[in-house]
Amino acid sequence: MRKLIEFIRSIYVVVLFVVLEVLAVSYYAHSSSYTQARLLARTNQVSGGLRSLFGGIRRYFLMGSENRVLLDRITQLEERLSRYEEVVASAHLDSCLQSIGESKYFYTVASVASNSINRQQNLITLNRGRNAGIQPDMSVLTPDGAMVGYVVDCTDRYAVAISVLNTSFRASGKLADSDYLGSIYWDGLDPHVVILGELSKYAEPHPGDEVVTTGFSEYFPEGVRIGWVESAELDPMRTSYTVRVRLAAEMSRLSDVIVVENRDLNEIRALQQSELIEQHTRM
Amino acid sequence: MYRTLPYLALFAATVLLQVFLFDNLSISVYLNPLIYVAFIILLPLDTPPAVLLGAGLLTGVVMDASMGTAGINTIATLPVAFLRPMLLNLLCGRENVREGGIPSVERLGRRTFIDYLLLMILMHHTVFFLLEALSWEHLLHTVIRILVSSLLTLAFVWIIARVFTVKLSVRV
Repeated sequence: MRKLIEFIRSIYVVVLFVVLEVLAVSYYAHSSSYTQARLLARTNQVSGGLRSLFGGIRRYFLMGSENRVLLDRITQLEERLSRYEEVVASAHLDSCLQSIGESKYFYTVASVASNSINRQQNLITLNRGRNAGIQPDMSVLTPDGAMVGYVVDCTDRYAVAISVLNTSFRASGKLADSDYLGSIYWDGLDPHVVILGELSKYAEPHPGDEVVTTGFSEYFPEGVRIGWVESAELDPMRTSYTVRVRLAAEMSRLSDVIVVENRDLNEIRALQQSELIEQHTRM
Repeated sequence: MYRTLPYLALFAATVLLQVFLFDNLSISVYLNPLIYVAFIILLPLDTPPAVLLGAGLLTGVVMDASMGTAGINTIATLPVAFLRPMLLNLLCGRENVREGGIPSVERLGRRTFIDYLLLMILMHHTVFFLLEALSWEHLLHTVIRILVSSLLTLAFVWIIARVFTVKLSVRV
């Protein structure tokens, strides 16, 4: 017995190391990008204020270019608005048109408190949280309407979104002028390029074609711009294209973002998980 | 306890630098220096192994919490802290290590100190980036990330070591 205790004392550092390492590995193995975002959301309550300060300094220097983008956007919207005003004027005449009610999407803005592009699992921290109406599963867009990511978790004052530059990110995308869809993901190599995989071989992507989201993705509204085709190659089986897409959003220079909620999301989910539907998917 | 205060300051400085400066660099996928490992590197030569492990655990957990990486930093800092005594014994001899002092150019000599820094940082970055990539698919890409980030970290840790030891005598 004494020998055993002495033996354990002589190797207790090794034992301690192995125990700690196993604990750390098992915690990591049971984590997902969701728990990581949760972790970050919790620590942000402490460090969020300081982060916002640094973000604020950065934003000050980006203000000029941001302003130009916004002005461009305003002129575009002005133009579209004038078209709608004409329609409204004519619609006013035949009053039998029903009101379309609330819009399906709810828009709000937030600014980026911290963001990274140099990891494999990049997350974005936003300076608005539940108090400003931000909920998990809302999508995040740049001011000129390009895809950035979607919100995973939020506290009262901060939200953490999974960036498109995260190897766990998934969305569905298509070429703007066709209906064949594929899945959008990041291969972790180039922060300016994402992959549009499993695109049908009939889709014929050409460099410069615009890639947008489909309405089938739960998070993003239909037709949100993702980027432009850079190159495309058929896979060895010659059944589908793997397309490299140059991102429309400049991920390293995010400062203000638009957050979009799909109001029907919960309704759609509840419907998909309803008893009746499940009866038809059970084997 | 001797020199608790300078080491507390070193810990705070490396963690704050990492969280608020180096994590926000975002220059390229390849440049991701993890300078907080300087704290483990610069602990006194005669630190007991259990204390080293404790320091590794502490830095790892703090960095995991602030980076939102669930455990990768801890998994990387623990083996570095565990293997440090063996590495030092190998590089500069058991007797020399027992005399204590802060690892630095003056104490170990320029050549040995750089070897020591490089090996520690490479060890840490290799574990970290392999775990972060978690696939062999882009192995070359990962290896480049390890090498480039390690060199950058080496440069910064070198500077931190100079600043840290400038006021303290390196002998006990």
